[in-house]
Amino acid sequence: MKLLNIIIYELRHFVRSKSKLYSYLFFVFTCCYSIHIGFSLYNSQNSNIKSLQEMENENISQVIKWFKTGEKGPKEKDWVDITDPYWSLRYTPKYVVKNPSPLMPLGLGQSEQYGYHKKITIWSSPYDSDVIEEISNYERFINGNIDFSFLIIFLLPLLVIIFTYNINGLEKDLNFDKLIAVQTGSLKYWVIGRLIFYWIILVSTINIFILSVFYLNNVNINDGFDLIKLSNLYVTVFFIAFYYVIMSSSSSTVIAFKMISIWLFLCVLIPGSVHQYISLKYPPNFMTDFLDANRKETYAVFKLPKEELYRQMLSIYADLDTTKQGLDSLINTKITRNTMSCIVNQINVQAINIIEEQNNFKNNLIRSTYWFNPISYFQNKWNKLTSTDYYAYKDFRDDIQLVTNKKLKILAFECWNERTVNLNLYNEYLKKLHSYNSSPNLEMITYEAIK
Amino acid sequence: MINIIINEWKGLFRNKIFFILSLFFFISLIICSLFGNIQNNEQNLAQKKAQEHIRLQWDEMEPSNPHSAAHYGTYAFKPVSILNSLDEGINSVTGNVLRLEGHRQNNMVFSEVSQSLQVSNFGKLNPALIFQIIIPLFLIFLSFNSYALEKSSGRIKLLLIQGVSLGRIIFSKILSLWLIAIFLLITTIIIQIVFNKSQFDLDTLFRLSLFFVSYSFYFYVIVGLTFIFSIVAKNNTWALSLTILIWISWTTFLPSVIVNISDEIIPLTTRIEFNKSLSKDRSKGIDGHNPRGDRKEALENATLKKYNVKKIEDLPVNFSGILMQADEEYGNMVWDKHFGNLCNQLKAQKFFYQISGVVNPFISLQNLSMGVSGTDIHHHIDFLNHAEKYRRLFIKSLNDEYAFGGSKTGERGWKATNDFFRSIKKFQYHPPNFYSFHSKYIIDFLVLSFWVLSIITIIYFITRKKLVL
Repeated sequence: MKLLNIIIYELRHFVRSKSKLYSYLFFVFTCCYSIHIGFSLYNSQNSNIKSLQEMENENISQVIKWFKTGEKGPKEKDWVDITDPYWSLRYTPKYVVKNPSPLMPLGLGQSEQYGYHKKITIWSSPYDSDVIEEISNYERFINGNIDFSFLIIFLLPLLVIIFTYNINGLEKDLNFDKLIAVQTGSLKYWVIGRLIFYWIILVSTINIFILSVFYLNNVNINDGFDLIKLSNLYVTVFFIAFYYVIMSSSSSTVIAFKMISIWLFLCVLIPGSVHQYISLKYPPNFMTDFLDANRKETYAVFKLPKEELYRQMLSIYADLDTTKQGLDSLINTKITRNTMSCIVNQINVQAINIIEEQNNFKNNLIRSTYWFNPISYFQNKWNKLTSTDYYAYKDFRDDIQLVTNKKLKILAFECWNERTVNLNLYNEYLKKLHSYNSSPNLEMITYEAIK
Repeated sequence: MINIIINEWKGLFRNKIFFILSLFFFISLIICSLFGNIQNNEQNLAQKKAQEHIRLQWDEMEPSNPHSAAHYGTYAFKPVSILNSLDEGINSVTGNVLRLEGHRQNNMVFSEVSQSLQVSNFGKLNPALIFQIIIPLFLIFLSFNSYALEKSSGRIKLLLIQGVSLGRIIFSKILSLWLIAIFLLITTIIIQIVFNKSQFDLDTLFRLSLFFVSYSFYFYVIVGLTFIFSIVAKNNTWALSLTILIWISWTTFLPSVIVNISDEIIPLTTRIEFNKSLSKDRSKGIDGHNPRGDRKEALENATLKKYNVKKIEDLPVNFSGILMQADEEYGNMVWDKHFGNLCNQLKAQKFFYQISGVVNPFISLQNLSMGVSGTDIHHHIDFLNHAEKYRRLFIKSLNDEYAFGGSKTGERGWKATNDFFRSIKKFQYHPPNFYSFHSKYIIDFLVLSFWVLSIITIIYFITRKKLVL
């Protein structure tokens, strides 16, 4: 019997088998639904980012208006003077955002567990309490989202079980298996042929969905090709495992039992055990080091005398000694106090490094289990490709730190140089701060744009 | 009936696979409970240490301005309940640290899941995971052909001839399998009691009893339903396929779909919108730091009248402290309005989810399991409310000290003593008594009971009508 004939027979069987056909249609419907959910989150994040950008632009326009009308700041705050770099920088808003990847509709990953926007002030840090996840029902998190990656990684193997558990099993139940072996020449060949049919159906379905998202979100096929490779590999691995189960079992019940057990071990038991072990080894962190840096040590900086503030500022930015204040023999209290957020930032950075290091140990431990915990590997690999994994959000945190550092450096040098800010200089600040633009698809307002 | 049950057990224990699997689950449950308890204790220890560490810093505070101290603030660390080791619920996805300070209500931060790569989609391997996902599957495999085997071997006819009714045979078979799950359930509960005997109180025992009842109901539903399919199905394979399909839908598919639907029907506000409306409403009040407007004037006049003086400077108290507290109280009102709305939305979503137990009893079980373990959204909101209540008391004490502790208006450099700071009581949180929360879970109990009764009724009727001989 030719392979093509086996596939055609299986196609007939598939169309006639209501349970298989309906399961498949149900899966297709669920895929559509999951992609709809993915797009909803993708669009909602994009629209929120856009509204932030609008808020940012409104604030900038306000400051530009003050410069143009010769006002020093908001009327009700007469102590604000935007010609002072300290105040003009405080009134220069900058949002750092993590733009959702165009592949996000194909996998939400850990995206709902993290914040994706942050307003940068001179006191900002990546672990501030405003960098947290979107408001959501926590009970939704524990059930997991019906996103496309969840369907492929967890539900698709179950669909494969429904499709294949009675291949060779039913024949064995009815004692037809020997007859089949005689008719087809080889039982293995016949089983492989039938499995190939389902493999083709599932792989093409997945690929069609992935390619549709590429098309809808203008994703270059080369950029998303790894996702296609990964999903196809994942399905293939399950088919290979199930082939051996089919060949080594005596009835459809035993096959079903073994297949479900494999799924249970791979998708639930092993990841669950690893999760438990990791929690024991690295219990949830209350981050007291960071809290101390953020509060106790910060308040200790507030109490430092100006000489000590001056010394610490020079230890952070050695070039400050060439500034006007650096060359002056008298220490200006206002300038040193206005720039002490740079010292606090330095303390925060050190505490954050400890946290990130601890998280890294934890991640290394997770990675070291991949050889016996392949589902976590596939899941994290998938999340990486859709930019929704831990590291995508670590990059976002790094961006927050980068922009904070940049803002503080401008603050330190401009204050120590005792600059008087005018519209042109303010525009320079904007350009410098937005030379890092975390949302390149959104146009940043500038003085030129206002004009 | 007892004889049938004993015979069933004898048959099952002769089966090597059954024996090995039962042993595996038995050992797994012991290990899971043990590890769960160790982790729980460690986490509680870390929580206590963190809370003490932060309190020590407060107690060591040098004489300072009380309002600066309000900005310095404190932290509330969420403790884990004793039964967290049974069912972790939402604890790994919520943050565990909340900063409590003046002028603002912060968000909880540092959730466990945000501290690493993704590991498991179904959570840690704890007793709840085993009881919710794995044991039901085990029961399905044990029961799906139990009736058919009896029928094909002709044993059922023998029993019927002896005068036993079909209903009695089926109920005995269901009980025999159900009792195996009950044995595993009791084992877990005993381990829980043994490991935590020093912390046990009546409330925990009550919670454990409800945990036991919920799971036993669910196991009954699973075994009963599998038997129904095995009785009405054309063959074993069909019965198995259908039961497994239901198991998949109940445990993995429907909970996610229903929770997503609830999110679409009752959409939650975004964080940006929430913060925007909060600051918009807040801006209408008194800004303690930059007071202006009618509200400030009204408060000023009322205070002057109260102390019978004409100028702020003549007040025997510090008006800044009074202003700060007025600002705080206005802010609290705004928070209550917006956070209250959000909580109502969350509760409405939860209610929708609970109601959906009618189509998926797994949801009722999950709700009850988290609820009795003290790890669901109701318990989380309770912690947040408790922390907020403490924040208000904490800030009020500081503002009152600023206003009435001996300073006068304009004395910005005035400092409260260390003794005063030490006198402010510590933040302490004890999870609520289950009895005070019981009304929130009645619906889950009713739904699960409805399922049990329905299964019993269906079996009763189909065994009456089924023609065996």
